[in-house]
Amino acid sequence: MELLQLAINGIALGAAYALVALGFVLTLKATGAVNFAQGDLVTAGGFLAVALAGLLPVPGILLLPIVVLAMAGIGLAVATLSWWPLRDRPPATMFISTIALGIVIQNGLNGVFGAEPRAAPPLFTGGHVEVFGAVVARQSLAILAVAAILIAGVHLLLGRTQLGRMLRATAQDRAVASALGIRTGAMVMLTFALAAALSGAAGLLLANRYFIAPTDGGGFIVKAYIAVVIGGWGRVGGALAGAMLVALFETIVAAWFDQAVATGLLYAALLAILAVRPRGLFGEATGRRA
Amino acid sequence: MLNSSVRRILAILAAIVLPAAALAEVPRIPVLVPVTGYLSLEGTAQRNGAIMALEADASVTFEVSDTGTSPEVAVTAMRRALRNTDVGVIVGPILGTQMLAMLPLAEEYQVPLVTISGTAQLTEMGNPWIFRFFPGDAVTKIAHARYVAEDVGAKRPAILYQSTAYGQSGHARLVEAFAALGIAPVYEESLDVATKDMTATLAKAMAAGPDVLVLHLHSGPTALVVRQARAQGIDIPIVAGSAMHQPSTAALLEPAELKGVCAESGSSPISGGSPEMEKFAADYRVKFGNEPDAFALAQYDAARMLLAARHAGATGGAPLRDWLAGNAFEGLAMTYKSDGKGNMAHDAVIVCYDGESRVPRIVRRYQGVDGGR
Repeated sequence: MELLQLAINGIALGAAYALVALGFVLTLKATGAVNFAQGDLVTAGGFLAVALAGLLPVPGILLLPIVVLAMAGIGLAVATLSWWPLRDRPPATMFISTIALGIVIQNGLNGVFGAEPRAAPPLFTGGHVEVFGAVVARQSLAILAVAAILIAGVHLLLGRTQLGRMLRATAQDRAVASALGIRTGAMVMLTFALAAALSGAAGLLLANRYFIAPTDGGGFIVKAYIAVVIGGWGRVGGALAGAMLVALFETIVAAWFDQAVATGLLYAALLAILAVRPRGLFGEATGRRA
Repeated sequence: MLNSSVRRILAILAAIVLPAAALAEVPRIPVLVPVTGYLSLEGTAQRNGAIMALEADASVTFEVSDTGTSPEVAVTAMRRALRNTDVGVIVGPILGTQMLAMLPLAEEYQVPLVTISGTAQLTEMGNPWIFRFFPGDAVTKIAHARYVAEDVGAKRPAILYQSTAYGQSGHARLVEAFAALGIAPVYEESLDVATKDMTATLAKAMAAGPDVLVLHLHSGPTALVVRQARAQGIDIPIVAGSAMHQPSTAALLEPAELKGVCAESGSSPISGGSPEMEKFAADYRVKFGNEPDAFALAQYDAARMLLAARHAGATGGAPLRDWLAGNAFEGLAMTYKSDGKGNMAHDAVIVCYDGESRVPRIVRRYQGVDGGR
């Protein structure tokens, strides 16, 4: 029963991390560079949910569309500030701009909301249910369901729509996509919006059960980075699998070992995977690492 | 014509210089605290406490500078502050690693450094310029362990602590204090600050058969452990570190989740206890829009002791150091007196929640725990 409880918690946590990792990969594929502000966008989404809950005391699921839309707008702002002016520069310049922007977001949240951790409302209701004898938080099950729906939505968007095809074409080869008449600049901007929306959703999902503080962004970006390296640089499916692995180390592996040892084992697993499969579990989709 | 120009220039220079000279007569107290970064919650409380005290006294001015979380930034802020010759004392950050980097400068410039940092090492280096106004682990962890043993009556504690320097220092003191009481913890584990799911750790801790959960964690992780423990049906007492007394930590939890939860602290301003304490808490709420914690109160008391020293003629440098080292001060939280090493705070309290509100009640006071006064 205990193992089942741990597994459900781990998968729910992994599902939320997967949203962050998915946003990370989408931006990486579109720009060829890492958006280091991605973790801070998760905290921004969490705090947005906290602020909205103060104005509209409704369950989190009703706040989710507002958070997603608002975060998409913030994603456009992030792209305008940190990518657009530097779009013809080497990817390393976006590193710096997104790190700087992440610090601005972090300190902005600190200034507006204060430094203390906050809790967003639960997606539906709080409390627990029994699943095959294991006591499981309703929020964990809700996180799992909502994250699965969002990931499936992104999969459909990218795979089944014309917009998705244009986004993928831009991510694969911006020069060719441009030659084919695709407005690649707009596609990259949209990718930032989509990535920020996913991060914002992750922030809302995590901010109830696990709270949210302005300084949490660093932890999220590290987990997303590990997930993407494990899964294969630029692989969407790999990032999701990597995110799940990170979360399972935090829960299942930590059930047998000290938390610190479990973290050490996660990094050891990362090194082992890179030694055996240098391009990650599913191979690299993005040739250059930035 | 020339005379007129010279007079005009002199008049402009006088307009610039004279107010500065007049201002220089009012001593400046730099308040160097971390208001950004991972310790910004505590740093902001520290800043607010200093402002509450210093704003009330027109005989001094003060400047708040953010030290972030790196020692370099703190040292730079201190050097910048010391460029002004009217600086006779510095309010230093709560972050121990920053304070350790600033100590040599205090000695070099002969300026007392007043802090609420709990890092034990600060007052163990033989530096006569450091004064700590918050009870360190040597005080609070003894109170923590004694309450667990003597009042809870527990004999099989499970200890969860942060893997940071703060957590490890407190853990070491807790284990020592338990050993002195003849108690051996049945389970001990360190937690990374980024750990979100505590279910596995709690399951392992409970498998060891503890009769109390003893926590020494930061604010967010403390709330996470309490919430997840209650969600797992763990109903043994939880005696937490000082993070639990912070109103912002309790605000994350439902009152029912707090039933059976206690915490050690230097003080608990929101618990009241005297008209002066209640006035402090009320004024703080009005001024800053949130609840005061023990860090804010300790810094408030520290700044008031500096003002008392000033009114007694000790305005800075060696005279102020000697005054702080040789006098007792009746603060709102406790009586402060140096133990000869700069440790000014020697009392601790235990607060407990009743499960119906987020305002804890002080259930036990420990005075002069380390024999420092």
